[in-house]
Amino acid sequence: MRSNKLGWILLAPTLLILFFFGVLPFVYVVFVSFHQWNPFAASPEMIFNGADNFRRIVFDSAFLNSLGVTVAFVLFAVISEVIIGYMLAQAFMREFPGKAFFRTIHTLPLIMAPIIVGSVWKLMTTPSIGIIPHYLDKWFGISMNIGTSAPAAFFTIVVMDIWHWTPLVTLTLIAALVSLPRDPFEQAQIDGANKRQIFWHITLPMIAPALIATVFIRLMDALRTVDEVWMLTGGGPGSSTRFLGVHIFKEVFPKTNYGYGSTISVIVLYLTIVVCWLLYVSMLAPRNNRKG
Amino acid sequence: MTDKHVTPLASAHLAKEGDDAALGDTERHGFLPIETNWFDRLFISVVIWVALSLFWFRFIEPIGLSIWISNAIALALGAFIIRKG
Repeated sequence: MRSNKLGWILLAPTLLILFFFGVLPFVYVVFVSFHQWNPFAASPEMIFNGADNFRRIVFDSAFLNSLGVTVAFVLFAVISEVIIGYMLAQAFMREFPGKAFFRTIHTLPLIMAPIIVGSVWKLMTTPSIGIIPHYLDKWFGISMNIGTSAPAAFFTIVVMDIWHWTPLVTLTLIAALVSLPRDPFEQAQIDGANKRQIFWHITLPMIAPALIATVFIRLMDALRTVDEVWMLTGGGPGSSTRFLGVHIFKEVFPKTNYGYGSTISVIVLYLTIVVCWLLYVSMLAPRNNRKG
Repeated sequence: MTDKHVTPLASAHLAKEGDDAALGDTERHGFLPIETNWFDRLFISVVIWVALSLFWFRFIEPIGLSIWISNAIALALGAFIIRKG
């Protein structure tokens, strides 16, 4: 009983902070999502409109388009980051000349603020002055203009996100790989297992918790990407890169439609939680059940 | 490790078996394909309720069936999942 009391006392500051900065804002957003509220309009008071915002959202083509674009972006970006991150982590597990230097510079994108990443990539991809369109044209004869081509804009954002966040995946997977015991690998090699079998039956199951945690972090980040995209394309051309975060921003700030913006935020949070939970259940729960 | 080396913080984690049960945190295997505690089942019920409501708004309500039917179904389903899941 005494230890429980001490535990609660030690936890109290964290719980208080979580309540005021996590739970309370969340409850407030859910509350606002059931209202029509434009605080800068002639009548700035909140008007309760039941579930009308949710009724509207399922028919809102701009929102559904944003959802589709965001899902495509998340799939391309996160899958690529995990694959490239794992390959880099495996590479860093071996010795090669200049390893320490390369490992240092490969983590540099991580310390850059997303808004800076967006502006740097904007400079690099602007047709008249950017290095990327220049060399694409010079070497391959490809004309790239992210201001007019929707696929070019979309895939530039995907590549930018991969460049920015793959080091995070690499670092977490290096940590996971370093902590693996050597015995199972040696036994598998003695038993004649090939590299593919070792990967699927030993490495992957053993790094699964770290991998899942990394995928969760990247999924949640990718679903609410705003600043990089806002700097690079502003959601255009048209609405081809208007991701959910950008859509919420445009709904809440330029249109000052706080009620409907909150509804979109709640739905995005719901989708994020459901996707992460499904991933967790499908990949980690079977392991836990087997242990039990 | 002997008892005298266990710090107060660590001792908070070394709960006796049955402490979880006393808190109502026991996991069990019902008709759901995974082991769940009561909070998992509540969470699943809420997720289904929201999904069903959105589906209802998009496809069923335009036909003329009220959202309250969806809420009643979700409530019944939720109670079933929490009790038997």
